[in-house]
Amino acid sequence: MDIILKIIAVGLITCVATLIVKPIRSDFSIIIAIVGGLIILFMIVNYLSTVFDSLKNIINFTGLNSDLYTLLLKIIGVGYLVEFTASICSDTGNSSLGDKILLGGKIIIMVMAMPIILSILDIIMELLPS
Amino acid sequence: MDVEIIFKIAAIGILTAIIGQILKQTGKDEISTLATLAGLIIVLIMVLNLIGDLFTTFKTIFNF
Repeated sequence: MDIILKIIAVGLITCVATLIVKPIRSDFSIIIAIVGGLIILFMIVNYLSTVFDSLKNIINFTGLNSDLYTLLLKIIGVGYLVEFTASICSDTGNSSLGDKILLGGKIIIMVMAMPIILSILDIIMELLPS
Repeated sequence: MDVEIIFKIAAIGILTAIIGQILKQTGKDEISTLATLAGLIIVLIMVLNLIGDLFTTFKTIFNF
């Protein structure tokens, strides 16, 4: 697992580069920080896809409905993207904007999870004696 | 994904700062502003490409 060494190296290089550029041009240092974060994300993304493939195999093995699994994946993706963007916003000093992005992500996840909640309610209503 | 884009962006930032300073001291304020703006736009386009790549990979992985 030398990928973790690469990730650490990219993080340190990004930190040093932002420190060097910040007194010269402060707006570029923010962009460098964003790009460093993006590069680390691109490094992780392949491993993430292998994890999701094996999870999909497990789901197929148990015979669960695969719609639920894709919904879960979408929710996890929304969570990651929103967290990334909100942390960029709070890095640049707009922490209130980051909070609003987080709120938007929460509401979107709530809307996406609504069919699962409704299906659980359906199951409960079937179980109840009429 | 390479690390060299970080160095590229840092180099563009330092270069545009130096060019802007030189142009400002020779009395061409408008051109120095334009050079600074051009550097910022070049870097923004590079970052936009990266963000677009990120979104497409997320779309393929998370089945959006």
